[in-house]
Amino acid sequence: MAVRELKPGVYSVGAIDWHRRLFDELIPLPHGTSYNSYLIKGSEKTVLVDTVDPSREHELLSNLQKAGVNRIDYIVANHAEQDHSGTIPGILRVYPDVMVLTNQKCSGMLVDHLGINEEKVLTITDRSTISLGDRTLEFIFAPWVHWPETMFTYSREDKILFSCDFLGSHFASSSLFANNEAKVYEGAKRYYAEIMMPFRKSINRHLEIIKGLDVEMIAPSHGPVYEETETILSMCREWVSDSVNNKVVIIYVSMHGSTEKMVSRLIETLIERGISVRPFNLTGADMGELAISLIDPATIVIASPTVLAGAHPEVAYAVSLVNALRPKLKFGAIIGSYGWAGKMVEQITAMMSSLKLDMFEPVLAKGHPGETDLQAIDHLADEILQKHRDAGLIK
Amino acid sequence: MQRYVCIVCGYIYDPEIGDPDVGIEPGTPFEELPDDWVCPECGAAKDLFEKEA
Repeated sequence: MAVRELKPGVYSVGAIDWHRRLFDELIPLPHGTSYNSYLIKGSEKTVLVDTVDPSREHELLSNLQKAGVNRIDYIVANHAEQDHSGTIPGILRVYPDVMVLTNQKCSGMLVDHLGINEEKVLTITDRSTISLGDRTLEFIFAPWVHWPETMFTYSREDKILFSCDFLGSHFASSSLFANNEAKVYEGAKRYYAEIMMPFRKSINRHLEIIKGLDVEMIAPSHGPVYEETETILSMCREWVSDSVNNKVVIIYVSMHGSTEKMVSRLIETLIERGISVRPFNLTGADMGELAISLIDPATIVIASPTVLAGAHPEVAYAVSLVNALRPKLKFGAIIGSYGWAGKMVEQITAMMSSLKLDMFEPVLAKGHPGETDLQAIDHLADEILQKHRDAGLIK
Repeated sequence: MQRYVCIVCGYIYDPEIGDPDVGIEPGTPFEELPDDWVCPECGAAKDLFEKEA
């Protein structure tokens, strides 16, 4: 939509998608998103770092025209996913001399996903560099900072790190830089929670690599550019750290009020014991909010009625997402109600194979929970308190 | 010997088999794999492996 300058000779030429409301047909985008593409005009070579979602091809091409770009020497593909590489074929059509620079793994994916001719790709190695004349670009492989082929591009003289998805946010803004900071950082946290959380060990390693670079500006491929880098880096260090907090997240659905009553009692008793609680009624819940709430709690409680013989499908859906995100949870419990019988606990337990939780005794009420059931909930709250104390989460 | 599972793709490193494609002999425990060894399926580094339950 507009060409904006990050530093002399370095421009943002991507597209803002104000009204996109869902990503991967799964993740809500309350603030829209952007597909950032950066143009670097070196004294000898001109480079485009990443492209845009194919639906926005016309915007990127029009921006390049506005920026007076007659020739592009290289496109750097930091990541093969279509929202960043999807317009490479369009660029190749308009600028036929351009060569794509990427790693071996990404090269194969570009061929598979986008049908790019292998002969148009030059593969580079980790920490290799290219000269643009007055500037040097360094490529830093970052496998499993989301995908196996992901990498960063670092402009040494500009001290800009083009981090692709890493440290990005789904946040549409007319401002190039992160100036509405509370909202931008909330967006970055949501983004981390939704797609980066399973790879936090890899991310930790790459945060160390970034420490070794002189970075003045971080330019991700979604959301605004960070002119001040320490805030986002320190937040990310906290997210990926091994520490958990004195918090319980409760995910639940209730059909006739029985499970709801158990959840309400648990919320109350946990608060009384000085434990933070974040309940999620899964009916109509924003799965991104749920992902954020999983970043640092010690404990998860899954509360479900029994539908036929198993968990409520909304609960099963949420548990499969939690399992895929691999949050650093330590303790877990399953509670709920049933009408006659069923395998709800066994079913949910089997769906949490990657979580390695220390599980509390389940609390199941037949029909409407009576006083004995509610006392069992109080007992669960006591046990959670004890585990949090033993883990040093409560002073 | 303890087998290890790649948390990204589910590949199982079996020390009894090793990873002959990259010169890892059968009988090599996971702990003795070189630091730069990666998952043959998906390229994940060693720290993305967990002990098989």
